[in-house]
Amino acid sequence: MIMTEPVSREASKPPDEPAQDSPAAPVPPEEMELVRRARKGDLSAYDDLVRRYQERIYATVYHMTSNHEDANDLAQEAFIKAYQALRTFKGGSSFYTWIYRIAVNKTINFLKQRKNKAQMSLDDLDFNAEHDPDLVALISEKTPRREAGLAELQEKLNEAMQKLSEPHRLVVTLHDVQGLSHEEIAKIMECNIGTVRSRLHYARQQLQAYLSDYLK
Amino acid sequence: MSMSQDTENFEQLRRLLAVKRHEQPPPRYFNDFSHHVIQRIKAGQRRTEGSFLDRLFDEAPWLQRVWGAFESQPILAGVCGVAVCGLLIGGVLFSDRAEVSPIVLVPGMETASTDQAQVTMAENPLFAKPVAVEPSSTSPISTARTDEMLLGDFAKLKAQPASFNFPGGN
Repeated sequence: MIMTEPVSREASKPPDEPAQDSPAAPVPPEEMELVRRARKGDLSAYDDLVRRYQERIYATVYHMTSNHEDANDLAQEAFIKAYQALRTFKGGSSFYTWIYRIAVNKTINFLKQRKNKAQMSLDDLDFNAEHDPDLVALISEKTPRREAGLAELQEKLNEAMQKLSEPHRLVVTLHDVQGLSHEEIAKIMECNIGTVRSRLHYARQQLQAYLSDYLK
Repeated sequence: MSMSQDTENFEQLRRLLAVKRHEQPPPRYFNDFSHHVIQRIKAGQRRTEGSFLDRLFDEAPWLQRVWGAFESQPILAGVCGVAVCGLLIGGVLFSDRAEVSPIVLVPGMETASTDQAQVTMAENPLFAKPVAVEPSSTSPISTARTDEMLLGDFAKLKAQPASFNFPGGN
């Protein structure tokens, strides 16, 4: 079976993900200055760098673990490790790609070492979820279980995500949840774009099967 | 499954995945996030600095006992500090005195003054007394003038250009 990419990036790009936040965007000079200062031990500069990327790094780790406490620890550890390894950062990629890679590797190692399936500790849905047109339509029209609320949908979705292997979960997280392009994901995962596409297609098929009751 | 159905189903899945984008950590969680990271970095740096003492104590356990004694009895630390300072000052003073005293090269000159030291070179048996050496059967070159060569004629020595004439040579 030839795996093709059925959904373009534009179709799957989350509307709330600004394009200038992508890792492939040119590195702002002020960010390079922050990196240079942090490399010399300036913790206030590194504090600025952490504030820039903390939400996206946390979100990635959280979607991979479905556990707030684990995501908190792993995201913090990723930033700490990045600070310790800052001298090895040559600037060949953007700092964003670099810190992303550290966080992803740390999370995958953590998940591999975690023998037992951890209890999920999900974050609350924000207020806007109830008004998201996609979700409203999905609950009121498409879902056979019309009584299913957002909380149940959230739990089922996270359970299905946890059934995926780590690389497939990561691709879905980065592309369908966080809106990164195939090229950006390939850089972060250090693989080629074809691998990203095939993993994404397979992961979607898997998720579709797990969530078939909610997608009919 | 046709491509259009596949795309449509993935579109529904994409809508469902929108739930994930609405998951948010507790309010004000990110206000303190970077602060926690920086605190952990600082704590790690302190641990690294402390680990030097730990390694030192592992190498020399007696040092740890001494350190413990100093911590429990500050007066002991003060006494040791004064003693170390006293030794240091004493050592400095002693070394200054040692530098003033003349360097004794020859035994028997301990009490000689500087003037005496200038004239005793000739009186020293090593330098002044002529050495009587009889010609040796195995050494045809006489060594009778060795003492003069060493001391008496030393100032008369001059460097002279060497010239070699080889008979019949070119």
